Amino acid sequence: MSGEFDVQIIERDDRQARFVVRGLTPALANGFRRAMIADVPTFAIDSVRFTENSSVMFDEMIGLRLGLVPLTTPLDEFEIGDTVTVALDVEGPATAYSGDIESSDELVQPADENIPIVELKEGHSLEFEADAVLDTGKEHAKQQGGVAVGFRHLQSVTVGDDIGEFDEQEPEILRGAIETDEGEVVLTKEFDHDLTNKYPGTELTVEDVPGAYVFHVETDGSFDVAELVLRAAESLGDRADELHDAVTA
Amino acid sequence: MMIPVRCFTCGTVIGEHYEEFEARASEGDEDPAEVLDDLGITRHCCRRMMVSHTDLVDVVAPYQ
Ligand SMILES: [Zn+2]
Repeated sequence: MSGEFDVQIIERDDRQARFVVRGLTPALANGFRRAMIADVPTFAIDSVRFTENSSVMFDEMIGLRLGLVPLTTPLDEFEIGDTVTVALDVEGPATAYSGDIESSDELVQPADENIPIVELKEGHSLEFEADAVLDTGKEHAKQQGGVAVGFRHLQSVTVGDDIGEFDEQEPEILRGAIETDEGEVVLTKEFDHDLTNKYPGTELTVEDVPGAYVFHVETDGSFDVAELVLRAAESLGDRADELHDAVTA
Repeated sequence: MMIPVRCFTCGTVIGEHYEEFEARASEGDEDPAEVLDDLGITRHCCRRMMVSHTDLVDVVAPYQ
């Protein structure tokens, strides 16, 4: 296997990206996917000390919801196991939102402000202090930075002869991104996921491109996609080094 | 009781969009499918979280 990977970004914004990597084996592609899910740590609320909870939900239910709120995680500033104290104090009638959570650290804030925690009626109130802990998805699913991380084979299309004028053309549904006849990688949503919209009236052959995979990566907002992908690649490298050192020592 | 914070299947945060979805699609007269597309909730696992949810806070509040 060659030492060089060819990476081509198809679409990208803060929380979502799609890119093609060439020169991978299926095992390595899956290792990379798993590293993005389980190896990149994020902050999540882990223990909650309730001062008052007269809402319609039990402490445990609120604790679960709090754990799932994504918190921004600048990974350069923190190490696994670090904690940040957060607090919330809301009196009804009102809805307690994730945006009402106050953090003791400016860098660690709720990534989304509009997540309803619990709706409080007249006379209800919610007050607590909680610890957010930095840990990996291996420890608990709430600490996963990547959500819906997946990959599939890159498929290439070869355009053949025209089909007969009165022949029925079967739809050819594809997902994600494909490589066209000209060697260009395009998103399938550009032709509504049906290849016959792009190449009407021709015979089409769709084949997997060996060693090329299309990754689709989303983050929960703890950090941007670039950070997630780079940290995952770094963790794979670190583990390979660790194995190398253990074997050669 | 309250809309779950994340989609059960894929883990995307969907809770933050529920109030807007309710206001536009359930109380308003917009097409629910178009509102979900607009909110960026594109997978069917996440869409069912929104479409099938019922808020029960008002139902249980008197017994608190
Ligand atoms: Zn989902």
